[in-house]
Amino acid sequence: MSELEYLLKRKQSIAAWSDRWQAEAARFADGHRDLLPKRITNAQLYGLGNVVRSARRYADIERFIRHQAEKAERAERIDVQGYWNDLKDALGKLRSEAQALLKTLPFPTGMDNREVLEALHRELVGLYVQHLIAHSLYWTPDQEESRRGEK
Amino acid sequence: MSEQAVQEVALRVALERAIARKSDEYDQSARRYAGQLVGTKLDKTQVRGLETLASTTDKVSDITDWLKLRVGRDAGRDRWAKEGIGRDLVTELEGLRNDAKKIVQELSQRDPDLERQVHLRLCREFLKYLAAHFEYLKAEQER
Repeated sequence: MSELEYLLKRKQSIAAWSDRWQAEAARFADGHRDLLPKRITNAQLYGLGNVVRSARRYADIERFIRHQAEKAERAERIDVQGYWNDLKDALGKLRSEAQALLKTLPFPTGMDNREVLEALHRELVGLYVQHLIAHSLYWTPDQEESRRGEK
Repeated sequence: MSEQAVQEVALRVALERAIARKSDEYDQSARRYAGQLVGTKLDKTQVRGLETLASTTDKVSDITDWLKLRVGRDAGRDRWAKEGIGRDLVTELEGLRNDAKKIVQELSQRDPDLERQVHLRLCREFLKYLAAHFEYLKAEQER
């Protein structure tokens, strides 16, 4: 497989993965809906998005999430701490998704397998977080109604 | 040309025809959405932005994420969140997956990603009509 073929196949596989996993990220957001937007604020979610976009290593993303969990723990916000811990687990598990995806992409020789896996993992995390933020900001009809009622 | 290449071309032609046929059916529905959108504070650059995104991305989820974000950010509820228009549009676009499924089933294709790709094409078609109707109605409104 030439490098160009590899890149095209990789792009298509990632797009398919992203579309498939949008529902999973939405389930995560819905599963923590009670914390949004007051306990987990939009600013925190945008902060997560910025970190994920700019991180050069997955460890940087994990460090940010761990820091958020520790801050919540110090403030005795157990539910918020739980959110960040759940997210750390969810994003960590995407490494095995990256591994599975890589197996379907026989990449050209001369590439470092670990580097390729690390980059792919970060890319999948970026897409998952994109879905997560979009769905977190997107209110369910019931909550929308109750919000209107509160006004 | 090899037998396989001929089959490939035949499939592409059949696929394009099926998408074009389905696309024509979206005109009325897109017009209804455009009619609702002109009742919001959205201007044509925002609706064109959605159409442009759809025509450049390779993921359906990018389109629905884009809309979800804008619905979520519309605190004044006078743009994408007005009277549930953005939410209805997300549901409409996600629902086009059923049309994509039927098209692929009729072509008896085994490519596991084809349904998703057809779904993306149908979203582009729908949003192309939506943007065109919106611009027309907006211009009428401003006259």
